[in-house]
Amino acid sequence: MPDIFISEESKKEDLKPEPHLSEKSKSKVQKEKFPGSTHNPLSAFCYYPGNINFETKESKEKVVLLLRQHPITNVKWILIAFLMILAPIVLGAFPILSFLPPDFQFIAVLIWYLVTTAFVIQSFLTWFFNVYIVTDERIVDIDFYSLIYKEVSDANIDKIQDVTYKMGGVVRTLFNYGDVLIQTASEVPNFDFLAVPKPDQVAKILQDLRIEEEQEKLEGRIR
Amino acid sequence: MTTIPLLGISVWLIAKIFVLLGLVIYFVFALVVVRQVQLMTDTLEVGFEFPIRALSWAHLVFAAGVFLIALVIL
Repeated sequence: MPDIFISEESKKEDLKPEPHLSEKSKSKVQKEKFPGSTHNPLSAFCYYPGNINFETKESKEKVVLLLRQHPITNVKWILIAFLMILAPIVLGAFPILSFLPPDFQFIAVLIWYLVTTAFVIQSFLTWFFNVYIVTDERIVDIDFYSLIYKEVSDANIDKIQDVTYKMGGVVRTLFNYGDVLIQTASEVPNFDFLAVPKPDQVAKILQDLRIEEEQEKLEGRIR
Repeated sequence: MTTIPLLGISVWLIAKIFVLLGLVIYFVFALVVVRQVQLMTDTLEVGFEFPIRALSWAHLVFAAGVFLIALVIL
């Protein structure tokens, strides 16, 4: 027989969400394994890295994802550096610097290697410090444009409006990397995670975090 | 030795001054790199700070070394 009268109290109980549901789903997400994800500091795809800390990180904030450009993007500058290292040895066979006295020739070679070192350091640091961080609260884009210019921008997860990922081309398909384009309603309207590994999984993680954040909002558990 | 006719100064002496000047500027650049690496490792800590700082310091020492060698042998 159907109930004719249901008290307000029991109605409220029915509507009450499961208190630890989001925590459960969070741990479930954490337990998911992404192949190729390591905690190596030089890795381009770190899922739940334990030892990451950045300038504006809050004490309770948890880093979910640390991304860099795919290591394959480094091949170009490594090849150039390799050629630069070999150049004085190969060109030694030709009398290019013969118009200079021997002392100047020696210094010229040293200066060449100095420039090569600067090129290697600059290229490596640009790759290493150009990171995209996704925490349980926001996304952070740390851009290291050159040795003398950097930019750090962030947006809350709940400000994300649209996530698009792009993968195209032979190399990108072969090595499974692409761009994740994030549109936000924050001061910085676009966050472009360029040439990151597994863009589909990044988009999925962002989607999970957005759902999580919406759930937290509904439950009134916003930090 | 090649000299400039009117001034009677060696061309290589002028070249040496320019090389040393360039290396001083390069040394300042290497200092900026060290400072920037310090700032960046403070901005982002991933457990790889020591090798990167060591790399920037090695670059600075290399720049200073080349300057000193140029000063002595040119």
